[in-house]
Amino acid sequence: MERKKYLWEKMTAFPISCKIYYNCEMDGALIISDLRATVEDKLILNGVDMHVRAGEIHAVMGPNGSGKSTLAYALMGHPSYRISSQKSLIKIGKKNIVSLSSEERAKEGLFLAFQSPIAIPGVHVMNLLRVAYQEIHEQGSSLVTKSSGVHNPVFGKLSTNGEVDLLAFRKTVKEYAQMLRIDDAFLSRGIHDGFSGGEKKKMEMLQALVLAPKYAIFDEIDTGLDVDALRVVASGIDRLVKNGTGVIIITHYQRILKYLRPDRVHILVNGKIVKTGKASLAKEIESHGYKHYTT
Amino acid sequence: MDTNTTLPNDSYKYGFHKPEHYVFKSKRGLDGGVVAQISGYKDEPEWMRKFRLKSLGIFQSKPLPSWGGNLHDIHFDDIYYYLRPTDRKVTSWDELPPDIKDTYDKIGIPEAEKKFLSGVSAQYESEVVYKSVQSMLTKKGVVFLDMDSGLREYPELVKQYFATVIPPLDNKFAALNSAAWSGGSFVYVPKGVKIDLPLQAYFRINAANMGQFERTLIIADEGSFVHYVEGCTAPIYSTDSLHSAVVEIIVKKGARVRYTTIQNWSTNVYNLVTKRARVEEEGIMEWVDGNLGSKLTMKYPSVYLVGRKARGEILSIAYAGPHQHQDAGGKAIHAASETTSQIISKSISRGGGRTSYRGLVQIQEGAKKAKSKVVCDALLLDESSRSDTYPTMQVDEQDAQLGHEATVSKIGDEQLFYLESRGIGKAKAESMIVNGFIEPIVKELPLEYAVEMNRLIQLQMEGSVG
Repeated sequence: MERKKYLWEKMTAFPISCKIYYNCEMDGALIISDLRATVEDKLILNGVDMHVRAGEIHAVMGPNGSGKSTLAYALMGHPSYRISSQKSLIKIGKKNIVSLSSEERAKEGLFLAFQSPIAIPGVHVMNLLRVAYQEIHEQGSSLVTKSSGVHNPVFGKLSTNGEVDLLAFRKTVKEYAQMLRIDDAFLSRGIHDGFSGGEKKKMEMLQALVLAPKYAIFDEIDTGLDVDALRVVASGIDRLVKNGTGVIIITHYQRILKYLRPDRVHILVNGKIVKTGKASLAKEIESHGYKHYTT
Repeated sequence: MDTNTTLPNDSYKYGFHKPEHYVFKSKRGLDGGVVAQISGYKDEPEWMRKFRLKSLGIFQSKPLPSWGGNLHDIHFDDIYYYLRPTDRKVTSWDELPPDIKDTYDKIGIPEAEKKFLSGVSAQYESEVVYKSVQSMLTKKGVVFLDMDSGLREYPELVKQYFATVIPPLDNKFAALNSAAWSGGSFVYVPKGVKIDLPLQAYFRINAANMGQFERTLIIADEGSFVHYVEGCTAPIYSTDSLHSAVVEIIVKKGARVRYTTIQNWSTNVYNLVTKRARVEEEGIMEWVDGNLGSKLTMKYPSVYLVGRKARGEILSIAYAGPHQHQDAGGKAIHAASETTSQIISKSISRGGGRTSYRGLVQIQEGAKKAKSKVVCDALLLDESSRSDTYPTMQVDEQDAQLGHEATVSKIGDEQLFYLESRGIGKAKAESMIVNGFIEPIVKELPLEYAVEMNRLIQLQMEGSVG
């Protein structure tokens, strides 16, 4: 353990692929290796490499059209985004999930907070959360606490023999909703049906907190949020990370990074990560733009 | 005339041939003899016998509707128009088709109810419940009987209202029902009486519950309230291929009636129903209508708003699976000022199924400041399914306010992906989307019906049924 920790500190200090210093597979890290993806036969991702570990925050920044959203969708397994190389890998620990459906990926602990989530009228938020939670954590709390490594004290209590205690579940959802300043009334509305931009983002955040994934991808969670909502969403991500979830934040701006300290910042240009650095890299982008990396 | 009061051979094996047990079965087809025979068997008053015979003439002279679904495969001469309930029903659980049994098991309905639903059991085990409900109703002066008993016990009341809302001339199938009717409910709610407990047809255990030609008459006197619930979500196996009911409702001044139907006939059945309510001043009529089963359903619950400020609401859900056609909708006739109506229709087509919305809103001359809103939404689950909308509006007043919205949507790939990204499998995701789609109407159903409805949709989506 001590050695791991030492190496880990070393790793965060130097943004070098963890393959060299540390065996990420053993630690259940999210490993993205040589990810190439096409949309309508057009190559968008051109070999992306990333290693995200539990409890880390990685920011992926890049100019318009650099492939940021494609990265999010390809990771989650959207059928329109085809992985175009045999060598491409997406692994959670030792398990390669690249050929799994999005449903199976979710069950392996992956989560995507959508940039503009679609409305599903009549599918109530609370109902959706309950069904999704049951599907993902079918075997109850042991799965949540042990195999995922995500520490979630509230959900640890939820399940005794695989069944989710509905009352306890509702209570937990409401606590998270309160934390995110989501009015209770939204929980019994159809998901995203008639929600404002800000409400949608908060609702995506709420799902991440409740479902307690191993790895969560936030696709432009910060766009269209006012300062107050931004702060609330950032505190949600902070909580998620403290619970042990590894987080990828895809963003145009440094805005949300004022409230969260990323362990790594990646610059994505033309479907490739052209530079990886520390939090300071985001500030550099803020003042100089992407010019340096695009030309 | 063939007075065909024979003993069907196949009833021997079920022990129905006891000498004191009068067994009656008309011959195939419908003619004056059969109609007179039905009336005679029931020992009806003369006016009813004449009414039946007159209706028969209308039935015979009217052509089949040229619109709606395909009715040409109905062989009217091949049908038994009157059977005692025990002859009609299968008499043992084992005789039910396996898919029906399977569905019952999957819905998880209790054994006793299964038998009742399948028609196996003439006696429903909730006899105790039935008796307590009846005594509560009797105390309040409410009449709740099967239509045959209603005619026997309240001949004057029946004569006063029978066929006043839906005369036999209305359409071919209303005429057919008028000639051959049997079973159905008779309800009278006295002035100012409000019944909190929904009246359910299955409380009438003493009578034929699922006749081919049910006739229901509900009279809600001034300021009263009643909620009548008919049918159930579990598929009802019927050996009869033609069901043609008539439901007439009279909503008097300031009264409110809600009539909820969930029908899930087996897919060999033609379900051709005429339902209409006459609503007087400040009265409210609400139709909640769900159609899941049958081969072809043609059903357009109607409100005739004849008194000032009368209000009508029609909520309907139709689900059409493979080889099914649901032609449903509603009619709102505004014949008085300040009347309001709302028609909300939701339909789902899957596996080549076809749904049609057919609606009429009519604002008659003199119906000042009338308001009407029509919303019809269709959901298609695959490329081979079909949905059509046939809305008609006739407006003869300048100041009417009318709204009409119609949408046709498919289950979107993005909606599916969203739910799948939350760990929910495709079949479950589809059923969630469908249940979400019909939610605005399902939430109006009594809870146990809503739960069953959701479960049934889920079963259909998972392809386990039908």
